[in-house]
Amino acid sequence: MSDGIDRREFLRVAVLGAAGAASAVYFPARGAVRALAAIPEKYTESPMLAGLVKQGKLPPLAQRLPAADDILIVKPIEEIGQYGGTWRLVWKGPADFHAYGRENYEPVLRWPRDPKDPIQPGLAKRWQFSDDGKTLTLFFRKGLRWSDGKPWTVDDIIFWWDDIETNKELTAAPHAEWVVNDKPMTLEKIDDATIRLKFAGPNGLVLQMLAFHGNQWPLNFERFGFFAPAHYLKPFHPKYNKDIKDYKLFNQKADDLNPERPAMTPWPVSQYRPGDAKLIAIRNPYYWKVDPQGQQLPYIDRLELTLVENNEAAATLALSCQVDMQYRSMDLKKFPLFVGKSGECGYRVYKWRSAQGSAVLFWPNQSYDGDPVLRKIFQDKNFRIALSLAIDRKKINAVSYLYQGIVNAPTVVPDSAYFVPEVAKMYQEYNPKSAGEYLDKAGLKLGPDGKTRLRPDGKPLEVTIETQLQGADLDAVQLAAADWNAVGVKAVVKTMSRDLYWPRATGNEVQIATWFGDRGIEPFVDPIYVFPFDERSWMAPAFGTYYKTNGAKGEKPVGSLAEMQKMFDQFKVTVDRAKQVAIGKRLVQMAVEECTAINTVGATPVPLIVKNNFRNVPIQYMQDWIIMSPGNLDTIQFFFKKP
Amino acid sequence: MIAFIIRRLLAMIPTLFFVSIATFVIIQLPPGDFLTSLQALAASSGSGADKAAMDNLRHQYGLDQPKWVRYVKWVSGFPRGDFGYSFEWKRPVRELIADRLELTILLSLLSLVLMWVVAIPVGIYSATHQYSGTDNLLTALAFLGLSVPDFLLGLVYVFIGLFIFHASVTGLFSPRLVDASWSLGKVLDLSNHLFWPALILALAGMTQLIRILRGSMLEVVGQQFVRTARAKGLSEQVVIHKHAVKVAINPLVSVMGMQLPQLISGATILGIVLSLPTTGPMFIRALTSQDMYLAGTFLLFLALMLMVGNLIADVALAWIDPRIRYQ
Repeated sequence: MSDGIDRREFLRVAVLGAAGAASAVYFPARGAVRALAAIPEKYTESPMLAGLVKQGKLPPLAQRLPAADDILIVKPIEEIGQYGGTWRLVWKGPADFHAYGRENYEPVLRWPRDPKDPIQPGLAKRWQFSDDGKTLTLFFRKGLRWSDGKPWTVDDIIFWWDDIETNKELTAAPHAEWVVNDKPMTLEKIDDATIRLKFAGPNGLVLQMLAFHGNQWPLNFERFGFFAPAHYLKPFHPKYNKDIKDYKLFNQKADDLNPERPAMTPWPVSQYRPGDAKLIAIRNPYYWKVDPQGQQLPYIDRLELTLVENNEAAATLALSCQVDMQYRSMDLKKFPLFVGKSGECGYRVYKWRSAQGSAVLFWPNQSYDGDPVLRKIFQDKNFRIALSLAIDRKKINAVSYLYQGIVNAPTVVPDSAYFVPEVAKMYQEYNPKSAGEYLDKAGLKLGPDGKTRLRPDGKPLEVTIETQLQGADLDAVQLAAADWNAVGVKAVVKTMSRDLYWPRATGNEVQIATWFGDRGIEPFVDPIYVFPFDERSWMAPAFGTYYKTNGAKGEKPVGSLAEMQKMFDQFKVTVDRAKQVAIGKRLVQMAVEECTAINTVGATPVPLIVKNNFRNVPIQYMQDWIIMSPGNLDTIQFFFKKP
Repeated sequence: MIAFIIRRLLAMIPTLFFVSIATFVIIQLPPGDFLTSLQALAASSGSGADKAAMDNLRHQYGLDQPKWVRYVKWVSGFPRGDFGYSFEWKRPVRELIADRLELTILLSLLSLVLMWVVAIPVGIYSATHQYSGTDNLLTALAFLGLSVPDFLLGLVYVFIGLFIFHASVTGLFSPRLVDASWSLGKVLDLSNHLFWPALILALAGMTQLIRILRGSMLEVVGQQFVRTARAKGLSEQVVIHKHAVKVAINPLVSVMGMQLPQLISGATILGIVLSLPTTGPMFIRALTSQDMYLAGTFLLFLALMLMVGNLIADVALAWIDPRIRYQ
């Protein structure tokens, strides 16, 4: 795990500056490099925009930037950049929205570049909790403007809350992070740049949520956010326009890929119709960040995303030198192919690790109600430990992941703030003999044939693994199943399409569920893999439903799982970050000790292709969707270096 | 003849009606709908939209209505040229597929033409030079062409293009010309990008035609009227091209009707392999994501293309062979 440490050293030098004093008060322990950066003497802009100013199509830069104290200064990772160029990427259509969306990660607060650092300022320059943790005041930058030049104010937040988030036609129910003790938050506008969020109780998750969901609504089909352009959208909202009867047009206009829609992002969509072979996004002239020399960001003028059908077509484009920087949709198994083309195409190929506690996770379903005997077996910790010890992870790493994975207990990766080194190697060694002993302890004795174990009711022990995984991941599932068979647990693998698998797994019908073990850096913004949080927590979907619905549906959990739910209740109301991390670590530790999920190998890399002259991209990095990779690296400071 | 064509065209309407019902039923067969598929996708790519939000969307898209209501809504839009709304692309189906259908038809026609232009002379040559060295070679090649699936040829083409010629082989244009305005260079580039897929697509059908024409020519050449023609002292050229080929070509025209479905399904797979903006890739994606109106409309149009193709084949047959009469 020397990877993580090297990289942190590296990033420490490069950490974002320009944080407000308030944040320093709340995070005294970390964030050593948050002294106020000096305000640049003058500001400059891309030649592309300077041209438009000269033609009179755009006001001068000084009128487009926020107030001088409120401009966010972003430190580049390697060096100060130069303007210009088109960043070519591939994407797989609207369902692959993240291919565009994460380059344009622009929330109220930001995930830090180094996951162990605290949350960073974004649209809001600082924030302050009341002493009881029930009220959060957000101080936004003064003079922010939408990409169409209209002022951005907290009214855009109020519009989102009143007319989108609490409007049943658009949002079934407000997202859980804005609801404390069953009461939705209330908003209080102080002035155009200051707003107060009031909760019924302390809300310990709100800062993470402002980094995670604090973007412009709706983030494509995910439909979450924190603000929306009121001046643009109100004419399409039935509440403000009596001629409009339903929300179809409103949804179309609010869509992130609508080129007319103003945005706060570095590269709003400028040319795109659904189905087009290319999506073009051009720099936002009103973007509100500069580099330490006062150059308005982003450095790169244009994004160009080519529509492809699948990962094979994406690879074909990469192999014909038609991408500049891309890791999404690039498969590990094609790594040698990319390297083979690197000379001709003039790109470098690196490995970025994925924040997966495990590439594949297995969950024996502790709330399974199809067979009471099996349910008892799944609830027995000894059984789960035995399954973990029976897996030969080295073999899986070799066969499925080209020796690139790391053997590590699931839930979090070493880069995470919640990493607990003491349990990192727990139940990870390959030890069939010990597995057998644990199975004996669980009351699963070997049958007369000496091969199959018998359940307490005398029937042979047989479990079904259901999976929608494919390719290398499916091979890993098959290998693990073979290992379990070897210790006498007959495991049958049933593969199916994702559409079939999903309702079965969330419907509590699956005996042993499988999925990717991602979200290994910041698991608690959606902690479904740590404990039964909702129906997607496949260690016990029925317990999760119970937790999510406050006992209205599902089944009351027992034992350690119930205890973990109570611990998370604590986590949610803990505003003090240090105390919160301590609770988070206890939860992670407990999940590992209880062996609620059985892992294979984790932190498997993806190939990163990056043109030789495409700079400011770190070589080592842990990517995850929660932190909107590569969004948290500040894509705006990537640039094409001129020879 | 005109009456026949009109009758056939009218008969298409009820056929299309049944096709639309069959299509709609088939598309609804897999469990779940677009939103369950979207939810699973959202979960695997990261986010987890919850059930309440999904039910809300389901209501907005009208997916909570009974199946027959959805069917009637879909079909009743046809006369207005409204084929429903694509959930995934968030755009009316008609706008979405117009360009792609054009390109699919263009590609299919191009390969149809290629098929015939190559197959007829080669078939005639093979038959008139039976068991010669060239005939044996052509026969061997024909069997190879018949037995290699077109998607495999597509992959081989991609490989050769990428690793031997270092050229862009996917899509319709070279990267430097995509945004350029139309010029001679761009047209040449387009035809270069379309020619090879069309050839790959045509290959199986082409070799099939060669075999059929060779067999049928050999049969015809042995018949009495050919001997009579020769006995009259006509030149070999006239005997073969005017008398023999005219008769021998009949089975080819009948086969054309059957080749169209192969061509269309071949174009689907090839479109995916070569990333062509044809109907293929979007169609498959619509099926997997259960984007039902889009998938249904594609199926409908492919069925329509098939029917029109068959009609053309029938008419051509009647035109070529006066012995065939339609009442």
